[in-house]
Amino acid sequence: MTDTGDATAPFFGFIGAAAALVFSSMGAAYGTAKSGVGIAAMGVMRPELVMKSIVPVVMAGVLGIYGFIISVLIAQKVAPTDYKMFDGYAHLASGLACGLSGLSAGMAIGVVGDSGVRANAQQPKLFVGMILILIFAEALALYGLIVGIILSGKSSTQ
Amino acid sequence: FFFIHLALTMSSENPFGFEFENFQRLLDIPMDISPYNYAATGTGFAIALSVVGAAWGIFITGASLLGGAVKEPRIRTKNLISVIFCEAVAIYGIILSIIFSGKMEDGDGTNFTDTDWYSGFALFNGGLTVGGCNLVCGICVGIVGAACALADAQRPELFVKILVVEIFGSALGLFGVIIGIVMTTQAKFGG
Repeated sequence: MTDTGDATAPFFGFIGAAAALVFSSMGAAYGTAKSGVGIAAMGVMRPELVMKSIVPVVMAGVLGIYGFIISVLIAQKVAPTDYKMFDGYAHLASGLACGLSGLSAGMAIGVVGDSGVRANAQQPKLFVGMILILIFAEALALYGLIVGIILSGKSSTQ
Repeated sequence: FFFIHLALTMSSENPFGFEFENFQRLLDIPMDISPYNYAATGTGFAIALSVVGAAWGIFITGASLLGGAVKEPRIRTKNLISVIFCEAVAIYGIILSIIFSGKMEDGDGTNFTDTDWYSGFALFNGGLTVGGCNLVCGICVGIVGAACALADAQRPELFVKILVVEIFGSALGLFGVIIGIVMTTQAKFGG
């Protein structure tokens, strides 16, 4: 069908770039929306705590940045020529690793942020505990980012 | 499963063969579809999914805004900002889809070079990225906007604080736009 036989490789590479950003954005959106509703509900009774409770929203936004980083890395490496199937598969794996772990971390941050800010409004000693749980959830996305960076650095010109 | 195995092992030389000769033949399946089809589908995704996200967000925000404004009419005008944030997502989608559709130029139609395949895949996945990110961004901004309207109805000083959360949410659509442009800068048909 084609001369080189590697023309399908950008298909997989670009799916990796798309998956990295779209799934991370899904996680970030879930985290932002769920925590945001909790903050709005909590702020009616304790408005002075709202600015302190924006922390889950910021952490969910960081997930979107992780996906953005991997997506830029991959999208700049996919090329029309001299792009082998090995590169395509590696970039697909990189994008899926970062994206799906960002999705799961975003869901965790959303649920924990929602219940955490509501509990913090009733018991101020729980703030540190909520932050600790959010950090553990954020670490999941960080693992995906690290693996994604390692995989996207693999190329077939060796 | 039997039929899949049969399809994979049949080849033109050996129609009843039971050896798995050439895995590459399986991976050439994406190239059975023309790259122009990929590009057009991607352009369609970019606008369609963005508009679905914007619409979803607008109806979520609008319903809560109108319900809350029954008792507190003062929240009407200020909380239209949430609706505008959702609308911006649809505007991102239409701008990107016009850019993508400008990249599709008429070509041969039968002989596709590697650059044509690359451009088709780039526009397909660029459109998926833009559309998917705008979809989730619109829903997120809509949900937070609904919460913002109801919180504003109870305490006016909460409006600006919850707006900060909405701004974090609308950054997601912007990421999708940037990556969509980065992916498709080198896409060129009819080379």
